[in-house]
Amino acid sequence: MIQQTYLDYAATSPMLPEVKQAMLAAMKAGYGNASALHGAGNAAKRVIEEARQAVARLINAEPDEIIFTSGGSEANNTVAEIFRGKKVAVSAIEHPSVLESMRVRAKECKVIPVDQAGRVNLANIPADVDLVSVMLASNELGTIEPIAEIVRCCKKHNTLIHTDATQAVGKIKVDVKALGVDYLTLSAHKIGGPIGIGVLYVKNGAPYCPLIVGGHQEQKRRAGTSNVLGIVGLGAAATWCWDNWSCKIFAEKVRPLRDKLRERILREIPYSSCNSPEEGCLPNILNVSFRAAEGESIQLYLDAEGIMVSTGSACAAGDIKPSHVLMATTGDAEIAHSSIRISLGLDTTQKDIDKVMEVLPGVIKKLQDMSTIKLNNEL
Amino acid sequence: MQPWVYSETVKEHFLNPRNFLMGDETKYPHDTEGVVGNPICGDQMKMFLCVQDGKITDVKWKTYGCASAIASTSALSELVKGKTLDEALKVGPREITDCLGGLPKHKIHCSVLGHEALAAAIENYRKSE
Repeated sequence: MIQQTYLDYAATSPMLPEVKQAMLAAMKAGYGNASALHGAGNAAKRVIEEARQAVARLINAEPDEIIFTSGGSEANNTVAEIFRGKKVAVSAIEHPSVLESMRVRAKECKVIPVDQAGRVNLANIPADVDLVSVMLASNELGTIEPIAEIVRCCKKHNTLIHTDATQAVGKIKVDVKALGVDYLTLSAHKIGGPIGIGVLYVKNGAPYCPLIVGGHQEQKRRAGTSNVLGIVGLGAAATWCWDNWSCKIFAEKVRPLRDKLRERILREIPYSSCNSPEEGCLPNILNVSFRAAEGESIQLYLDAEGIMVSTGSACAAGDIKPSHVLMATTGDAEIAHSSIRISLGLDTTQKDIDKVMEVLPGVIKKLQDMSTIKLNNEL
Repeated sequence: MQPWVYSETVKEHFLNPRNFLMGDETKYPHDTEGVVGNPICGDQMKMFLCVQDGKITDVKWKTYGCASAIASTSALSELVKGKTLDEALKVGPREITDCLGGLPKHKIHCSVLGHEALAAAIENYRKSE
């Protein structure tokens, strides 16, 4: 049996033991429908409100600014619904659940370009739109966007601002008041919670209209019987992140491992290059390219050795087009096709990094040997 | 072993590719070659053939691309070795896909590229004759 090395935490992170415990307890308690007036319903309502407070505390929001959704994609689609028929601007490297939902609903959807690091330049933020949506940190590169500055720029034009903080929450400090955003998306399964539950933060007073109607749940802002188990799991994950200072663990334990891995890859593997910026990057994401070696093949050779990474983003699997993020930052399809994303998590150890460096150089050498693309020394 | 995205045969060819040309191609004496695809599109394949009396006596290949692209050229190289040029041309995308135990729909183009690389090599050979 091959020892499994999981380095795809940005796709999904395993549930924390505390989350499983909380969800099992909720399952055993057998809560009623949170909308019901009887005892079982009230009990459900109580645990939901506790979870809401835990999430609000984690991002410094008010509890009534937290709307539970089925995940990040629904939260992003809800923002697009609010701005149906309006003018919006989104960064070129947004998740497809922002890009596509805005494109189909907005009257006009402008795309804000990014620099080589994947960062939005304030000068490129249009003044004549109703909403600007820029992610807090890139899922593919880890690049952290200057959201607070973007907000200041937007406020001058009375533009509202949404940020998809799915990858950032739990990894770096996320404070909605300090950022000044009007809407923020987060997802439970990226912070050790369950899949299928997320949050849209809506600042008090910001325009709103529900995506799913037909029920009074979430103060009529999201219809549908409350997902008690999921909400309890998300609450437990948020509590864990708060109580254990998860951002500090990522800065002090995970980041040095990621930096070490980057340094070793660039030093030990010929024709490697780093697509993630050195500074202003999430502590756990590393996106690298290897000349003449194609990403999916790298990923599957690593998988055969028990090392799990991804190409660009998990959503890109099954898609043969190069990553729109790397195309926006490099404009080079070959670099985009030849990339992998390694993402670390709370359980990553030095051993995992050593394992990657035992296997990866051989995999790249084999693919480069096989490749039609000549390396410089053979020209 | 965990379940795999492609068939067992694709996996076998991918993990243990047959007949690929290791390193510098100028050091491999051959009679003709053909190349198709483009790294910008994510796949490029090159076939190298040794031909004697109208028969393919040796095949080598190079591929930049995904697992199914590598497996397609590997399987193709085994399928056409020893065949006459006319017989080899009849090995189409369908034969390559069948030999691999099937390919996912969005990867069928890998078998098409393999066939086209071989056809290009044969065409180049006939033009030079």
